Amino acid sequence: MAGQAAGNANRKASGKAIVRAPREITHEGFLTHRRSRWLKIALFLSALAIAVYIFTDPQPRANGGSVAGYALGTIGALLIVWLSLIGLRKRIITSKPYSLKGWTSAHVYLGLSLIVIGTLHTGFQLGWNVHSAAYVLMMIVILSGIYGIIVYGRLPGKLSANRQEATQPQMLEAIRALDRQLDTAAQPLGKDEADLVRVSLEQTDIGGNLWQRLTGQQPNCGTAKARDAIQALVNQQMRTVKPDPRLTQILFLLERKSAALAQARRHIRMKTQLEIWLYLHVPATFALLAALIAHILSVFLYW
Amino acid sequence: MSFVVRQIAKRADGGDIIRTRTLDNAEITVGRGTDCDIQLADLGVMLRHARLLQLSDGTVAVEATGGIPLEIGGKFVNRADLAVADEPAINIASHRLTLTKGDAPGEIAITAERVIAATDAADAASETGIFSLRETMPSKRGLAWVLAGLVLIIGLALPLFMMGANDLPADMVAAAARPEGVSGAGKLVPSLGGDDVKKAGYSADMVWTSGPLSTAHAGLSNKCGACHTQPFVSVTDSACVSCHKPDATPDHASADRMATGRLPAGGFEAGIHKGLNLPEGRCASCHKEHEGPRGALMVAASFCTDCHTGLSGRLKNTKITNVPNWEDHPQFKPTLVSVASLTAPTFERVSLADKPVERSGLIYPHDIHQSATNGVANMVQKQGLAAGANGALACNYCHTPDSDGVRFKPIEMEKNCGACHDLAFAKDGGIVRTLPHGKPEQVAGIIRDFYLGQALSPRAGVQRFAFERRAPGKLAEVELADLRITSTGEARARGDAAIAQIFGADGKAGGLCSDCHVVNNTGAPNAAERYTVAPVTLASHYLPKGRFPHNQHKTYDRKTGDAACVTCHKGVMVSKASTDVLLPSVTQCRDCHGSSNVATNVAATCSTCHGYHYGEGGQGGDFAGSPHRKPAKPATVAARALPVKLGSAAPVGAKARRAAV
Repeated sequence: MAGQAAGNANRKASGKAIVRAPREITHEGFLTHRRSRWLKIALFLSALAIAVYIFTDPQPRANGGSVAGYALGTIGALLIVWLSLIGLRKRIITSKPYSLKGWTSAHVYLGLSLIVIGTLHTGFQLGWNVHSAAYVLMMIVILSGIYGIIVYGRLPGKLSANRQEATQPQMLEAIRALDRQLDTAAQPLGKDEADLVRVSLEQTDIGGNLWQRLTGQQPNCGTAKARDAIQALVNQQMRTVKPDPRLTQILFLLERKSAALAQARRHIRMKTQLEIWLYLHVPATFALLAALIAHILSVFLYW
Repeated sequence: MSFVVRQIAKRADGGDIIRTRTLDNAEITVGRGTDCDIQLADLGVMLRHARLLQLSDGTVAVEATGGIPLEIGGKFVNRADLAVADEPAINIASHRLTLTKGDAPGEIAITAERVIAATDAADAASETGIFSLRETMPSKRGLAWVLAGLVLIIGLALPLFMMGANDLPADMVAAAARPEGVSGAGKLVPSLGGDDVKKAGYSADMVWTSGPLSTAHAGLSNKCGACHTQPFVSVTDSACVSCHKPDATPDHASADRMATGRLPAGGFEAGIHKGLNLPEGRCASCHKEHEGPRGALMVAASFCTDCHTGLSGRLKNTKITNVPNWEDHPQFKPTLVSVASLTAPTFERVSLADKPVERSGLIYPHDIHQSATNGVANMVQKQGLAAGANGALACNYCHTPDSDGVRFKPIEMEKNCGACHDLAFAKDGGIVRTLPHGKPEQVAGIIRDFYLGQALSPRAGVQRFAFERRAPGKLAEVELADLRITSTGEARARGDAAIAQIFGADGKAGGLCSDCHVVNNTGAPNAAERYTVAPVTLASHYLPKGRFPHNQHKTYDRKTGDAACVTCHKGVMVSKASTDVLLPSVTQCRDCHGSSNVATNVAATCSTCHGYHYGEGGQGGDFAGSPHRKPAKPATVAARALPVKLGSAAPVGAKARRAAV
């Protein structure tokens, strides 16, 4: 109400029909949280790291064992541990010490600054060893996170458009209802036709395996096969006699089921894209923490 | 004869709906078709699937009519006779028909129920299973455990288990014990460990490496424990010197002088090092390993000047001049002979800027020997000695490069001087009699014996060479007169005169010895003991703390051969005395090295000429095995005592004389 009142006031003042909504009620995503405060902090941190790297001249060449190297490594390790704590923070419902949005914003930007800090810590020396393993794992985590940010930014709108106001249970129910209708409609049919309908009823996997979920494509979907076969039958009958109305009814139902499946699979594809990176991001984070322990311990074991 | 059919359907809430009908027929049909007596709404069932015929009380014949066998008691049959008393069951697609005796006699009850729930793909999986990855992917937690565990096992547990002491490869230890000679200058990458790397094999703790080892240490790639002897302790010098024995790799200076002379470490880094008990001046302070093929030997160019810029301020009693950079490198201070001696010569370092004088004891005018027109050149031509382009005696006739081409072999009288200065003094028939070099006391006796022998038993064809200058044409006459001896007393007098003459003492002209040596008359009554030859000491290395590879400087300023030599050694052509020091000055080096004036500018770092691990004397491996190495004397000694006298520049020696005739 207060926002609406303010809007009215603004409209009066500016005389324009369309007025920007007051700040309090516009959505502010985690990327722009508090005027991108964490973006600025992360940029500063990265610039500082680059300056340290440039203005120190370790001999014989830059590596993680120089003063700057140890400093960058310490900052990087602390950042990694803090970044991984978002897994705990998101399970605690509180607005303090930072809102989850603020925390996420910091997570994203400080995580990105790790690309600079971590890479400079390596001194651009990589090899087949536990230290580079930690670096590679870190980069996997960060790159999967970048992917996550991109899909979080792009997909929810498309997801919503694809749903067309339908909820997930409603999508499933639509398919179930079509299945029941198909089952009933197929009862008078002979074995061959009935078997085709059974292919649709029994060999349709809405989600499918990981690849099918990611692509949204199921070339061997039972419903598609049944629809094509019955379409062929109908076409064949149309050349000679009037097609069996029971078959045309089945064909109609199968086409509707295909459309419902396509919508559900688009939904699943986007949901999968939204989820899949976490299956890399989270396990790689724990592998990274393990590699970090091995990295730090081994450096001092074989000092 | 009748069938009682009980069809059971499931309600949504799980309960059963049972519908019972009685069919007064001996034969009933089963199928999906609406005309069947028992209709099964199951797409797996044929329109007319089976027929049941009541044969007699207690037996029913079953026949498949849809072309699909029936499953009865686990067997697929097309027809069967079933005893109702056994309560047989017939499976048709998802349905099962069970036959039992009815309540009335002759009545058979058939119970038809769906035993496999209707196929509903959507019901098969829950909403989450379909729309999320939870049932498609292994759990994130599981993946995290597996991955983290794998990393910890390979990256930590296995290496921890495998770490420990290692045997050192014998060939590497042997190579490390060999001192590096001067020829190593500029070639500081030993090509060791190549084969060792191939047979290095795997060791779990190799995953802890922070980068490839240097070429020399590559053979230790799988032997971490060779250097990392104690956990959590930075690599100590003791690990290094277990291979690099101080004999082969001497310290730059003694530890206490190093500690005093070293730039005091200050600032943040030094504080950390101190806190972590990492002392300065360890091997690893300079030699950083795991930095690639050249790693351990990569040392900053400023490494030397860091200390040597203000060394005298810290190390008060140092004799070394401060060197802030190459431009301000002090003038060379060659190590010169100050007192020649057969046993204990002394040397002093004198700057080229301070008009240095060398007191080798040898008389040797370079200018005469480099002339292209005088008697020396004539001898070179007649004897076919090595000559330069202009016909003068070649530099390398005396200055013969050593096997490394860095320095020169010691000069030897017989080899380098003897072709002309052959010490012949008489001719006996066809035999030329020569005097021994380096044995003055023998020389006098030989001369005296020669005259006495001629007095007692004069022989024709014996001729004594005269060395003094004579008018042309009179020489033979003089020589013959010299041997016309009438008494032993005369022989003795002639002999003593000849000794004095050959030694060339007291400034007498025509002496053999005094051509090159300073001869002293002690005044002893016995002529054999009267003359002594001043000792000669030749420095073998004027700038022992540096290395100048002569073989890399054969061409200079577009000149080659001797012309190139004298471009740097400028005074050679005009030098009249061996006291001249004919070394080029440091500015000569700067003509090419580190100069921006010339197109052929060649970089010059300290290590271009100097070595760090060459001991306090700076010679390092040069004198490995020589007695001079340990006491750190600046040069070897080539000292010889030589006979004969004379200080003139006249050609001497029998051959020289004959050539002049």
